[in-house]
Amino acid sequence: MKSSLRNMILSLTGLTVAIGAALAVVNEATADAIKETARRSRIEAMEAILPNFDNDIIATQELSEGLPLYRASFGGEPVGIAIETYSDNGFSGHISIIAGFDNNGKITGYRVLGHQETPGLGAKMGEWFATEPHSVIGSATSLSVKNDGGTIDAITGATITSRAFLDAINNARQALESYKK
Amino acid sequence: MKSLKVIIDGIFRRNPTFVLVLGLCPTLGTTSSAITGMSMGLATLIVLMCSNFTVSALKSIIPDKVRIPAFILLIASFVTIVQMIMQAWLPALNESLGIFIPLIVVNCILLGRAEAFASKNNPWLSVCDGLGIGLGFTLALTIIGSVREILGTGAVFGIQLYSADFGALLFVLAPGAFIVLGLLIAVFNRLKEGR
Amino acid sequence: MLTYIAIIFSAILVNNIVFAQFLGICPFIGVSKNIDSAFGMSMAVAFVMAMATAVTWLLQHYVLEPFGIVYLQTIAFILVIAILVQMLEIIMKKSAPGLYVALGVYLPLITTNCAVLGTAIIAANKNFDFLYSIVYAVSTALGFGLAIVLFAAIRSQLELADVPRSMRGVPIALIVAGILAMAFMGFSGIKIA
Repeated sequence: MKSSLRNMILSLTGLTVAIGAALAVVNEATADAIKETARRSRIEAMEAILPNFDNDIIATQELSEGLPLYRASFGGEPVGIAIETYSDNGFSGHISIIAGFDNNGKITGYRVLGHQETPGLGAKMGEWFATEPHSVIGSATSLSVKNDGGTIDAITGATITSRAFLDAINNARQALESYKK
Repeated sequence: MKSLKVIIDGIFRRNPTFVLVLGLCPTLGTTSSAITGMSMGLATLIVLMCSNFTVSALKSIIPDKVRIPAFILLIASFVTIVQMIMQAWLPALNESLGIFIPLIVVNCILLGRAEAFASKNNPWLSVCDGLGIGLGFTLALTIIGSVREILGTGAVFGIQLYSADFGALLFVLAPGAFIVLGLLIAVFNRLKEGR
Repeated sequence: MLTYIAIIFSAILVNNIVFAQFLGICPFIGVSKNIDSAFGMSMAVAFVMAMATAVTWLLQHYVLEPFGIVYLQTIAFILVIAILVQMLEIIMKKSAPGLYVALGVYLPLITTNCAVLGTAIIAANKNFDFLYSIVYAVSTALGFGLAIVLFAAIRSQLELADVPRSMRGVPIALIVAGILAMAFMGFSGIKIA
């Protein structure tokens, strides 16, 4: 087509309007699904780390020491608490974790929600701290790695990640304790 | 069968990674495993087929002087659609490909094919070209991802070939990306010379 | 103050945009045949990156978010960058012909430089404040400059080396880049806090 000014403006405007409309439609169609997916993955994580529960756990969200905290209950009886926690001291920065605790403050499980740690080293934290002999599950006290005089074996070659991980877990415990008080 | 030839040319003779050496950022950034590499390739393939088709279909009503901005606009809108669909139904994949999904917009392969092929051919052939080039890209990314994953962790597509303790972790990390791609292009060059 | 030193250090060395984040690889390989053009390219990128991040930050926080149309981010940002590059070209030609002669040829290439769009998206999505975003963009661009100039210096030496035929050109360049990336890995995990 000839590149007259009128043509250029008309065609680009037409294109923009068409694209804007198409995107608005797709956005409308996916917006709910995007929200639902985020909600469901959060619930799945909590089902994996907490004892059985039957309440609408997302609705119980509160803040304790700035960390989001969720109360799980079964038949009205409280069974545990999940806390979203994080550390900025990972080898490559931010690590976010969700940790579950039972009524006695024992760790029932954890999930790593996001991180940029080195694959094959720090990235192993998802399984490492859930398997013996370096598991944190069942512990009811503040934790640290052996290099710092603690009881937990750090991930081989990834002490910094291990420290950051335990830091995040300890912060969650602190939030739990100050919530209970 | 002209359309078949266009597809096969896209995969081999005009392979975007090994022959044209285009779109290197996702090639290096998303191939730490075979599966992420392949997903990135497929996401690009979908956008490329859609953009090639629309560019070709609309070529007669887009004035010559504003064709590049118009192409970018079209590509960007398909990228946004793919992004929204992935957020909705493939959140884990979206998370692992991260910023490389919106960056499909600036992948030179897309604008390159729109300009060099789709704006000169009919919609059907343009879709074939998109399919061929897209498959070539997917194939390349899958190969690079497999090589890096096998050398680095001893596994590929979840199958453990040998103990991860013997893997050279370097290949999964950033330097491995550059080195594996360099060596694979050299192998491709060698094969071409051999013929 | 310390936080700014930390991001500058991190963006240039620890999270180098080329060696750690794999952005801007095309110009990194394409425009690194000699040091002068590498330097020119990195200056042009620094300029556009700082401008683009500033404009897209304002766009994100004063238009896209208030109107709830964040899903148009990719389109809006790429259009802003394309327009910005065009305007820069026109303004430079008129008011700073010296600068235009030096940087002009690199400007059209920058629109499709994923480092620029990538940095703008990262700065917008990570909720940096305005000043922080600008400092982040400039130091990322410096990191790009450092990478490409270093690489060009090595490549000009490489011209004289006897490289096997199928390794010539891009393959050997990529392997050199891999070794450089290894060197940059030495910075990872270092923190100023």
